[in-house]
Amino acid sequence: MKKPWWVVLLLITPGFGFVLLLIGAVVSMAVAQSIGFYNFAGESQFSLEHWQQIINGDGSRRFWRAFRYSAYIASYSAILSVIIAYPIALWLRKPFKGSITLSAILKAPMLVHGLVAAFLMINVISYHGFINEFMIWSGLWDKPVRMQNDKLGIGVIFLQVWKQMPFALLLLSGSVQNLSDSVLDAAQDLGAGSIARFRKVVLPLTLQSLQAALILIFIGAAGDFSFQKVAGPTAENSMATLMIYVQTDVGDWNGAAVIAIMLMVLALFGSLAVAIVAKYVSRVATL
Amino acid sequence: MSIKLNKIFLYLFLGLAFIWLFVPFSMALLWSLVDPSVSWSYPDIFPKKLSLQRWFDMWETTSLSTAMLNSYSLAPLAALVTILLASPTAYAFAKIDFPGREVFKVLVLIPLVVPSFVIAIFFTSLLYSLHIYAKYPSILLGHVLLFMPYAVRILTVSFTQVNDDIVNAARDLGANPWAIFKVAYLPAIKPGILASLLIVFILSIEEFAVAFIVGSPDFTTIPTILYSFLGYNFIRSNAAVVSLVLVGPNVLLMLFLERLLQSANPQNVSGKG
Repeated sequence: MKKPWWVVLLLITPGFGFVLLLIGAVVSMAVAQSIGFYNFAGESQFSLEHWQQIINGDGSRRFWRAFRYSAYIASYSAILSVIIAYPIALWLRKPFKGSITLSAILKAPMLVHGLVAAFLMINVISYHGFINEFMIWSGLWDKPVRMQNDKLGIGVIFLQVWKQMPFALLLLSGSVQNLSDSVLDAAQDLGAGSIARFRKVVLPLTLQSLQAALILIFIGAAGDFSFQKVAGPTAENSMATLMIYVQTDVGDWNGAAVIAIMLMVLALFGSLAVAIVAKYVSRVATL
Repeated sequence: MSIKLNKIFLYLFLGLAFIWLFVPFSMALLWSLVDPSVSWSYPDIFPKKLSLQRWFDMWETTSLSTAMLNSYSLAPLAALVTILLASPTAYAFAKIDFPGREVFKVLVLIPLVVPSFVIAIFFTSLLYSLHIYAKYPSILLGHVLLFMPYAVRILTVSFTQVNDDIVNAARDLGANPWAIFKVAYLPAIKPGILASLLIVFILSIEEFAVAFIVGSPDFTTIPTILYSFLGYNFIRSNAAVVSLVLVGPNVLLMLFLERLLQSANPQNVSGKG
């Protein structure tokens, strides 16, 4: 159907126009504050001082540490989620008795709020939590092991995978189910074992969903605040917790803006990098 | 895969699921039922005394009731406003050919890829620089922004499923616009409308970043009150009560949503078969 341009404009203004205007204003605000404008505490004028201070000056060690930490958490979460989701998606490709219950249970974490998930995990792994009590009761451990707020952020990665794996599963199941049986059968007839079939047939044909899953999980995990605050290592900051700290506790909106821009840069380029690596790996795998 | 191996895997996974869903939730339930007068501490395996006292205390002494009122009034409002604003865009995306449509369809998803705390902070500074300090409407506006992509996306699919033959037939038979809407549009888009209302409702109840940053320090919603019980003043039993309050209704709504999305499949609404 064709309509005059002004009708289209009128129709898309309240929804699309609203989103574009507001998100545009929010992102521009971050950019403007990072280069010295809208300074709530001092003089508002163009200056690169805030960039200088955060990424090069006194706070730079803290900043780059948070940057590396968020990149680390996001990459591991994205990669682990798809590694776990792939075999399950392939397994559930053909329905069998119990497969619907199973996929419902696997998707359940999507319904659980992140903060609740973090709280539940803390209950299970805390010093006198379920795992420690169980291991001591069964005699496998002599004394409780400290697992909460571990130094490597394993708790955070675990939570990310717990929460995001179902999402990867959803995306991968869709494309795995679209694989035609004849292609897989043909590969088998030509003598390909299950690993060869995965490498040479499944992986290249489902690459796009794999990349989509990696990108979305990476972006989500890079911007994480709640998991880090509740279950993360106490000595580390993620980009989001550092940004909130600089804005709330230090009261430096402009510095927080610099961190926000760098967080968006990390989310964008980091997720693309992971997707490109996935493509490269799948190329190598088909050789 | 052999049937036997399949069974073994199935039971293994169901066992794992038990550990990763049932154990944590029953622990939360137990913690929420611990009687305040007798503490549950090491080395007791189970609490010594159970009661609903915590639930009453939480309701009466903390701001949980205010938080629930805020959350449960924000969510339906956000859902309604979002659907009203999203529908014309979705109609245009689905039914009208215009240059750049595919690009616009992608651009409307931007709020999904900007980290939510970045949106929260600079939405706040935008409001400050415009001298807007009213928290409730600001959070409402923030939620509408964050969840518009979902509504536009779902409704676009629904509008695509409207059968033009039925629209034309109704018009040829002399139906007025309202009658055309009722026979041709409504049956196709109803599941989509319900689904987007529900999903925005659920996401709004769960939204943390905007409510936390824009609302700080005194405006509470259910997630922000949960955060306060997990952070500064960690009280396990209180956190357990709020967790259950947050998760319970949403799980029920989500299951309902799943049903709806299934019934939203094209065959059921295309008027065929």
